[in-house]
Amino acid sequence: MLCDRCHKRDAKVLYTEIINGLKKEQHLCEECAADYTSFQMEKPLLNSDLTLGGLLSTLLENYYTAGATKGAGTIKPDMICHRCKTSYQEFLRNGRFGCADCYRSFGNELGKTFKGIQGAEMHTGKRPKGLVTEVDRVMKGLSEIEKLSLKLQEAIEKEEFEEAARLRDLIKEMKKEESSNA
Amino acid sequence: MLKWYEINGPESDVVISSRIRLARNLEQYLFSAKLDDETAKAMVDEVKEITPTLSQAGTRKFYACNISTLNDIDKTAMVERHIVSPLLAEKDQPTGLILSEDETISIMINEEDHIRIQAIVGGMNLEEAYEEAEKIDDIAYEKLHFAYDEKYGYLTSCPTNAGTGLRASCMVFLPALSSARLIHKLMEEVAKYGMTIRGIYGEGTKSLGSIYQISNQKTLGSSEREIIDSLNRIVQQVVKQERKRREYMLSVNSEEIEDQVYRSYGILKFARQISSDDAMTLLSQLKFGADSGVIKFDRAFNIHKLMMGVQPGSLQWSLGKNVGSLTRDQSRAEYIRKELPTII
Repeated sequence: MLCDRCHKRDAKVLYTEIINGLKKEQHLCEECAADYTSFQMEKPLLNSDLTLGGLLSTLLENYYTAGATKGAGTIKPDMICHRCKTSYQEFLRNGRFGCADCYRSFGNELGKTFKGIQGAEMHTGKRPKGLVTEVDRVMKGLSEIEKLSLKLQEAIEKEEFEEAARLRDLIKEMKKEESSNA
Repeated sequence: MLKWYEINGPESDVVISSRIRLARNLEQYLFSAKLDDETAKAMVDEVKEITPTLSQAGTRKFYACNISTLNDIDKTAMVERHIVSPLLAEKDQPTGLILSEDETISIMINEEDHIRIQAIVGGMNLEEAYEEAEKIDDIAYEKLHFAYDEKYGYLTSCPTNAGTGLRASCMVFLPALSSARLIHKLMEEVAKYGMTIRGIYGEGTKSLGSIYQISNQKTLGSSEREIIDSLNRIVQQVVKQERKRREYMLSVNSEEIEDQVYRSYGILKFARQISSDDAMTLLSQLKFGADSGVIKFDRAFNIHKLMMGVQPGSLQWSLGKNVGSLTRDQSRAEYIRKELPTII
């Protein structure tokens, strides 16, 4: 049965009105019912408009438009994930990635997005046990001195100056040894 | 084997349960929203294959099933008992579930992410819940290839879950704070520390019987340990505040509270029909009375188990059939009468 008001959508609500003793029955669709009456279709447990995801997409979109109007945004509107074909626009609209490769496809812009919603853009938690990544492979190929230099860098960043001094001396010594060997 | 809601854990006067959820995705499949039914089914089947390995690795037995083949009563009962999320229960795509026999661990397959590992323990005990979930995570990783990135950590469908994929939450019972209308203030307070307070069934749901969920909002940039530690600190604060408020209420209003608690008991014990919202409100009064020693029973009993038992789905599930709301209200009253202990 079609809705008595719009005659387009399926009627889902029977609305009975009694005005001055006059009874009037109408079959309405959800939209017209919401419009015309105080009736609201509600899902008992899942109210999807109120979810974090719903809020998130507004947040993402605001973030994007704010950046664009300022002219600061270097977002390329045609960024599309090569694997699942999700566009960056689509991601902003839905607040959902299409696949794992989206994280790589959307490049540096994503870092800013993450900074905006998570307050961070770098994972510092658990790594899967026994995971060998590109970084691990590169690290493996490094010489002892190169590894120590990286550690030195890290110590300086963490302001652990005693450790840094120790590493600096160690590297110096190793370099000396190396040149004398050569 | 006792179920988590049959055990009273630490701080159980305020903290009903602690829950850990880890979101994981398989590298070789597109994320859930982009999967067609056929591929989704293949993914669900692949994940379900780890079930025997899980049973062998631990002391628990695990069972796997397809959510889409269950009837509505089963699904609703599972949502009410926090085994599956409302989203998983309502999804049209192929979905799956691996569940431990004590209902402590559930693995939702093809929810918003391919895999959601969930561990629930009674009382305030996030550490134990995390240990349980991590064990499953490690075993699953040996068989399945998780999408992981050095920069963004575990990759998830929604950017609010990326990184650790960890959502830690405590289900708390706050009758004193909510009757003093302090929940809103608490929400603001908690938000400052990156935590959030929500209704009993999570995102977008209302609170029933003064039960709320407190959980972390951010998943990237802090380690699992840090997230759990800060949630622990917040919940401990909430526990302190709730207890203080309860003490205050009892000191100024003890006679009225006593009257209210005994009235609630009276209705629960003698009513011939009762709705689930009414039952929740009265049971929450009774829990408050029992925890603060206003009312004493001849035997130990777990009010939270009763709170789950009176929910429409669980009730019909134990009746074994779908019944109308009048019959439901009658059998709910009968169930409560049977379960309630005697006052001493």
